[in-house]
Amino acid sequence: MSLNPLLPFLMAGDPSLEALPALLAEAKALGLEAIELGLPHSDPIADGPVLQAAAHRAIARGATPRRVLESLAGLSESPDIILFTYLNPLFQMGAERLKQLLAPTPVRALLVVDLPFGEESDLEATLRTAGYPMVPLLAPTTTLGRARQILLDRPDPGPSACFAQRFAYVVARLGVTGTGQGMDREPISRRLEALKGLTERPLAVGFGLSDPQSLSVIRTMGATPVIGSALVQELAEGRSLREALTPRMVDDV
Amino acid sequence: MTEGFALPTRFGAQSLGGCYAPETLMQPLLDLEAAFRAASVDPAFLAELRAELRHFVGRPTPLTPAPRLAAKLGLKVLFLKREDLTHTGAHKINNALAQAILARRMGKTEIIAETGAGQHGVATAAACARLGLACTVYMGVTDMARQAPNVARMRLFGAKVMPVEAGQGTLKEAVNEALRAWAGQCDRAHYILGSALGPHPFPTLVRSFQTVIGEEARAQVMDQSGSLPEVVLACAGGGSNGLGLLVPFLGDGLRRVAVEAGGYGTALGEHAARLDGGHMGVLHGCKTLLLQDEHGHTAETASISAGLDYPALGPELAALVLDGQVEVRRASDEEALTGARMLCENEGILPALESSHALALLPALVAEGVATVLLGLSGRGDKDLSTYQARLGI
Repeated sequence: MSLNPLLPFLMAGDPSLEALPALLAEAKALGLEAIELGLPHSDPIADGPVLQAAAHRAIARGATPRRVLESLAGLSESPDIILFTYLNPLFQMGAERLKQLLAPTPVRALLVVDLPFGEESDLEATLRTAGYPMVPLLAPTTTLGRARQILLDRPDPGPSACFAQRFAYVVARLGVTGTGQGMDREPISRRLEALKGLTERPLAVGFGLSDPQSLSVIRTMGATPVIGSALVQELAEGRSLREALTPRMVDDV
Repeated sequence: MTEGFALPTRFGAQSLGGCYAPETLMQPLLDLEAAFRAASVDPAFLAELRAELRHFVGRPTPLTPAPRLAAKLGLKVLFLKREDLTHTGAHKINNALAQAILARRMGKTEIIAETGAGQHGVATAAACARLGLACTVYMGVTDMARQAPNVARMRLFGAKVMPVEAGQGTLKEAVNEALRAWAGQCDRAHYILGSALGPHPFPTLVRSFQTVIGEEARAQVMDQSGSLPEVVLACAGGGSNGLGLLVPFLGDGLRRVAVEAGGYGTALGEHAARLDGGHMGVLHGCKTLLLQDEHGHTAETASISAGLDYPALGPELAALVLDGQVEVRRASDEEALTGARMLCENEGILPALESSHALALLPALVAEGVATVLLGLSGRGDKDLSTYQARLGI
């Protein structure tokens, strides 16, 4: 399996819901296999200032969870979507309604930031059976023992499954999403080596990565870098997805 | 159930509470539970806490009979549990101090806290100064303006007060920002959550450090009057004061009542009464009764009292309410102001706006035929003087 070079994050509804299908089509044309799509939430406790602001702009423009999912219905020109969200909007919708809304969309997996494994086992099992597994998140504070447990509880569907349904998300540093002051290469490299000892799954690394060089470094470690806040900021300032991503998809080491 | 926790993480028939935290905070929360369990049975910790509560906080706080206010309202007996007389002026110090001692035992050197009315922030800042810990308090800008004296007090105690401008600039946003800050510093910092909410083990931790209020009050009321009252009454924001007073009376045949902020109206956004308008939801790490819109976005809230101006009721208190152990009532901004004025004029005690919501319910209890009440006076009203001056025209 070749390495997926980049996992970009977009906030649904920012700059607008109407622009979303075109953005996704452009992402697909760039050759991106998967994309994280943020469902805007009122209280994003794991997000830094850029994604908070993007979520609030999107909510102010009417990007409700239902409208976001409806705007994805029937899209064929799109990378696989990993829906990045907080639990409460899904919880209010309920599993059945959520499954109905997800069915016609390119959403292939869910990344629920505030849902540790085991807290909503029934909901999680229902969604996994329906084809929407939860992405396992591994933080710098996650011990290897706990990481093993998480990877078992949110199991690898196997090499034939798509990247979105297989990968584990490795959080690069403490804190919330957002661009940091450079990347501490050594601890990330050691961490990835340790995690590769636990799992065959593809690994994505996010939180604090933005410049092309940092992204390249992650690729040299055999993992897919995630680009979130920096991209959302650039799109909000009017850059196109192609302009923002092209320099970040080629190696620059 | 989250694997790895030893204490129950859920409350009541509807399994409220839980631990809905980002993965980065899971290990710190597991570590916190382990430290709390070890401390709870460690005589050295318990002795230090007891000594500090006595010599620094000023416990036990008095149980004051309020005969003139009782007569005025038509009650036979009214007792006030005087948390307003603790050092720093509210019940918040009981929990802040205990968690600060716990944090020091865990080897943490920095403390993060959120605050609404500023009482938890002041209590945490004072406890940190006493124990030699660095302290940063997150506070919404609206609350900083309406509780300015408490901002100055925190700064005098050496704490850094970080203004939170997001949203309405109140307690909810302060908790968001404190959780984010903790995720960035959880290797060296402990987060002292001030109310009985948040991810497990916080609700249990905070309640267990606050039940000293009700334990003292129960012994004092038996000592002074030889019997229990018909009603034990407390205000409830997140629920640390409500649980602290009411939980020790759970086995007794009496009415336990919590009073929420009725704000200025009954529509969503005009109050902070979670029982009337709230639905089950997840906010700040726990599942509980939450004021929210149909999309699962947290609703705006309103209350004259910063300490009650929060969209979720703590999960254990919500569970006690749903399971019929505690009644929830509401008092409006205006009723709270009237309650405050009555206590001032008849007993010479200036209550916090939060506590005034409990006072505001007394006429309704009298109308229901209640004759004896024990009321938790959670804090003093010095911090609210500017609001009282503006709203009461004094």
